[in-house]
Amino acid sequence: MGTLSILGRLTSINVRKVMWTCDLIGIGYEVEIWGMPHRDPGAPEFLKLNPNAQVPVIIDDGFVLWESNAIMRYLAESRRSGLWPVAAKERALVDQWLTWQVAELNAQWGYAVYALMRKNPAYTDEQRIADSIRNWTQRMQILEAQLQAGGGFAANGRLSIADIGLAVSTHRWVSTPFDKPALPAVMEHYERLKATPEGQKYMSADTP
Amino acid sequence: MRILGRVTSSNVRKVLWTADLIGIGYEHEDWGLPLRDPRVPEFLALNPNGTVPVIVDAGFVLWESSAIMRYLGQKGGSDLWPADVRERALVDQWLTWQATELLPSWLYAVTAFLAKNPDFNDPERIAQSVDKWSANMRMLEAQLAEGGGYVANGRLSLADLALALSSHRWFSTPFDRPELPAVTEHYQRLKATEAGRKYLNADTP
Repeated sequence: MGTLSILGRLTSINVRKVMWTCDLIGIGYEVEIWGMPHRDPGAPEFLKLNPNAQVPVIIDDGFVLWESNAIMRYLAESRRSGLWPVAAKERALVDQWLTWQVAELNAQWGYAVYALMRKNPAYTDEQRIADSIRNWTQRMQILEAQLQAGGGFAANGRLSIADIGLAVSTHRWVSTPFDKPALPAVMEHYERLKATPEGQKYMSADTP
Repeated sequence: MRILGRVTSSNVRKVLWTADLIGIGYEHEDWGLPLRDPRVPEFLALNPNGTVPVIVDAGFVLWESSAIMRYLGQKGGSDLWPADVRERALVDQWLTWQATELLPSWLYAVTAFLAKNPDFNDPERIAQSVDKWSANMRMLEAQLAEGGGYVANGRLSLADLALALSSHRWFSTPFDRPELPAVTEHYQRLKATEAGRKYLNADTP
């Protein structure tokens, strides 16, 4: 195996998902800092790698890949990690929850996070803040029920790449200031993962 | 296997098309408004999100259309989901991009122009949606032009099905579109297939 490079900034949860996956599997990597305000991914050099101008991008011994979830699945599969089970049905349930994290959960919080956590002055529409909070909360309640039913993990009763995607999402939930309902199973899952070495690294107050 | 969902949903058609191409037999149940409200206990017990599609494969319940496609590709041992890990990852990248980048960019414009929902009338948000959607489609144009008419690995994959359904939405939505010859060629080629005629027709824009 040659070298693995991860291009991105630690403040992006999608970058942290990929680093956490590598750390758990035991894949060594170099980090190249890309993303605002450090280094503009709209530069031609970066766009050649990812025309979306988004992080993370990996270069695995010359092989270029983007989209954080596809990267997590690729890294786990190419290194035969149990974080991405081989059995078709177990694999599909991990995939379902990891996909849900980006397609359903992440899609709800954007407006609220810009308004309440980043305090971006362009995000002041009260109705849209309320809608974002309501929809985000409703999805977190779905996660609560799943973690309660699933013995503390998103799928198959054990740790998988889906738990990584969901824990960094919960970190965003916890780090965004607004009135939240109690979600005991979500909080137990979050605190348990946060107590691990990777959790301390990727779910700290420096990267909300 | 049961596939639950209305054919007017492009996410349901992704799964139907995948099953058809792989040759997996299924029973199709219409769920989703206006046909059958998925927010009922019977459906929510399968998928707490109340969204379609859902599959029930001999008792195994799965939702999220992209995850279902990957599951069917693996179950069927299909080259639509290549066995080689890097080829597979490139298909995954574009299939994931369709769901996380392309689809969210069109939502506001499609709800305004195609579904003609009167609540979606904010000119600034329509313009943002059109701009972002167009930028994403130009990215797809560059990829198809460079990639020999397929989105990954120079041959048909699950990602092409999802992207052809997305192009169908693009061409079905009335607004000023930039010319995208490679996207148009890819779309017309897939539309000319048996499954394409079924899932990319005017009844399901």
